[in-house]
Amino acid sequence: MSLRVDVEARRGDFSVAAAFEAAADETVALLGPNGAGKSTLVAVLAGIDPPTQGRVDLDGETLDDVDAGRHVPPERRPVGVVFQDRLLFPHLSAIENVAFPLRARGAQRRGARSRAAALLARFGIAERAEARPAGLSGGEAQRVALARALIHEPRLLLLDEPLASLDVRARTQVRALVRRELLAFPGVRLLVTHDPVEAMSLADRMVLVEEGRITQIGTPAEVRAAPRTQYAAELVGVNLFAGRLEPLETGAGRIVTPEGDVVVAWPAGAAGGVEAVIGLLRPADVSLHVQAPEGGSARNVLPGIVGSVSVEGERARVRIDSSPPVVAEVTLGSVERLGIREGTQLWASFKAVEVRVEVQAEAD
Amino acid sequence: MAASKRTTPAVFVLLAIVGIAFVALPLAGLAQRTPWSRAADVLTSDSSVTALRLSLVVATSAALLSLVMGFPVAWVLSRSTFPGRTMVRGLVILPLVMPPVVGGVALLSVFGRRGFLGGPLYDLFGVQLTFTTTAAVLAAAFVSFPLAVLVLEAGLRSLDLRLEDAAATLGGSRWYVLRRVTLPLLAPQMAAGLVLCWARALGEFGATITFAGNLQGRTQTLPLAVFERLQTDPEGAIALSLLLVAVSLAVIVGLRARFLATR
Amino acid sequence: MKRAIVGLACLAMVLTACGSDSGAGSERSEITVLAAASLTAAFTKIGMDFEWDNPNATVRFSFGPSDGLATQILEGAPADVFAPASPKYMDQVQSEGPGVTGRADFARNKLAVIVPSDNPAHIASLDELAKPGVKLVLAAVGVPAGDYAREILANAGIQKEALANVVSNEEDVKGVVQKVLLGEADAGIVYRTDVTPDIASKVRGIAIPDAVNVIATYPIAVVGGSRNASAAEAFVRYVTGPGQATLRSFGFLPPS
Repeated sequence: MSLRVDVEARRGDFSVAAAFEAAADETVALLGPNGAGKSTLVAVLAGIDPPTQGRVDLDGETLDDVDAGRHVPPERRPVGVVFQDRLLFPHLSAIENVAFPLRARGAQRRGARSRAAALLARFGIAERAEARPAGLSGGEAQRVALARALIHEPRLLLLDEPLASLDVRARTQVRALVRRELLAFPGVRLLVTHDPVEAMSLADRMVLVEEGRITQIGTPAEVRAAPRTQYAAELVGVNLFAGRLEPLETGAGRIVTPEGDVVVAWPAGAAGGVEAVIGLLRPADVSLHVQAPEGGSARNVLPGIVGSVSVEGERARVRIDSSPPVVAEVTLGSVERLGIREGTQLWASFKAVEVRVEVQAEAD
Repeated sequence: MAASKRTTPAVFVLLAIVGIAFVALPLAGLAQRTPWSRAADVLTSDSSVTALRLSLVVATSAALLSLVMGFPVAWVLSRSTFPGRTMVRGLVILPLVMPPVVGGVALLSVFGRRGFLGGPLYDLFGVQLTFTTTAAVLAAAFVSFPLAVLVLEAGLRSLDLRLEDAAATLGGSRWYVLRRVTLPLLAPQMAAGLVLCWARALGEFGATITFAGNLQGRTQTLPLAVFERLQTDPEGAIALSLLLVAVSLAVIVGLRARFLATR
Repeated sequence: MKRAIVGLACLAMVLTACGSDSGAGSERSEITVLAAASLTAAFTKIGMDFEWDNPNATVRFSFGPSDGLATQILEGAPADVFAPASPKYMDQVQSEGPGVTGRADFARNKLAVIVPSDNPAHIASLDELAKPGVKLVLAAVGVPAGDYAREILANAGIQKEALANVVSNEEDVKGVVQKVLLGEADAGIVYRTDVTPDIASKVRGIAIPDAVNVIATYPIAVVGGSRNASAAEAFVRYVTGPGQATLRSFGFLPPS
């Protein structure tokens, strides 16, 4: 199963050109700043807007072929979409929303309802089945939207900014659910987002879209190693530590990565066993010291040589070749004050709680 | 809704009272001049009961007809772009501003025995529409049709089209989406349109008397009955008028309250 | 506050302007004549002749069904002269209303059947109005033309069958003419005088035998409480005097 896209689409006087592939059981993140054209691509893949040029193939079936004049309308595409604004039907209850795709294909009411109820239960919101969308919290509504897109077992799952409209608390809960469902989904998975952290933590591959053009395609590691545009570079400015999580002491653990260990706060709800995790750290949360800091509360103190310094306005991104390597963001003033240059020996420090830990999978 | 800190300007309150009085006073005058002792006799008389029954049938049929015919027009006006769209909208609104008698004459020119549709109808099938209850329904539908179009078009424009896109991606065919998403979301506007059309149809006089004529039991709706009675028995006519007002009020208040409650 | 006063002043001016079209204190004397619909053409001409002879006078007409006009007078409508198509309504105004002065019969009229010129129902005589399926239009009960028509049908012994053919009761006799003129009605019963020259090409009049016909008598009088009694009296005298020739020319019969 796979998706092949090679299209040009126009919306108003804005055009997007995209060519990429996505395999089954793979999460591809479509990542780009706002207005880059991601939602236009979603509309094309969903079948809502036909492309002006090119073709879209899914599992060998041609969904769009402009030259041949072929356009499969959205209702006949095996695609499930979770929209940016969710777009739950306000006049239907949660369970009726979820049952909609089944009933639209001719299923009987009772059968559709019981399947919808089962899915809602799996998503942990069975008791909200009869509520109208207006009465659901952001997190609950997002789960209904996801259930609605999955229930008819599509072969392509499109998630357009699934976490964007949620508050921080809801986002954490829903993110876990999204990850679980994404991993369980056997078809092609396309995640559209402008949040690099979301992309890096969920995606197997990233497609960067800027101003209507694809600028880079690659795994998060590949992009991180060789960002091709300013945007990509900024993206990878996020520090990402991927590895095994081991318990260290009460309330704390250690992410063991091939390049070094990072002490982190034990993530809530994680089992006692060893797990595969991703630790995310913002460069701004990294402090730099010209001498080894002592007696501080930061659990991570990493010595290293400055690999590069790039200045953007009043800020500087300093790459330290520590174990593991980190990128720190400090003010230009600090760079000058501390005399930071390539080759300078520095200590990078950050607190365990500043690392955001995402559980990728349970260990067996 | 909590009380607003911004108070209504006194002038507005005054003008609002004038506006409300403009409508309320004539109605109060009607009630005051009603010969309550005779009212029961007038209202239960054969001609009054017949006129009421006919009015209800005609108004309901006309309102439904307007709604059914008006929906596709509203759809096309709100969703398609074509040259002359503004003109078409103006045309559709015309019966609203046209004097109803002129509307009746217009209907005669089309559906009358010598009309360009009515003529062949008569010559080929011997069917004449004038002087029938159908004609009364057509006359009432003609004048209330613009209301249906206006309300439905506004409703269609207020819909989030993306919901229909979403429904399509979820597997809904165009008809399924229309049935299960668009129309249910449009329900409040359809109800409002139905009520407006019904009220307008109930009060229709000029087009009815010109196109359908005036015959008890077949075409004499309540307004026509009031007018006829006015020639000889003004007080009885007032009683009948009050009945017309009461029926309209009951329907408007009753139906609107139901749909206001869900908003 | 200032704006409110200005607003109210404007409102007051508009209201007084609306109310003052009754031309109080004018040199001209204006009279309002309420006359039966069947008199429309004849009285309009008489009105113009009257104004020609009396330059200071203005005649305003309100034509309609006699029963409705009588009711208007009873309800207090300002009327100076009343000319119904039946003595019944003059009696009503006399006894239940403001009363009348100078009452005189000024014309008589006979009724006739009219059919559209293409005569779709092939009516040749009054009796054929009883044929099933004929679309007959009459003036409403209470309107003199309507009452007379029913009387005629009763006289001819076909009231039951003919009334079953009635498809519309018009508010006045002109409405009957209209329906036949439009070709919607197969036949109607109107006054002979309603078959005017300008519609003669579009309708055909069928005479009603005198034996069953009704002679309508038209009275005229000054309405009690008239604010221009002298001008009203002058008009009444005109109708019974010089206006008679005009009435004759429109097909009305002399008063006796």
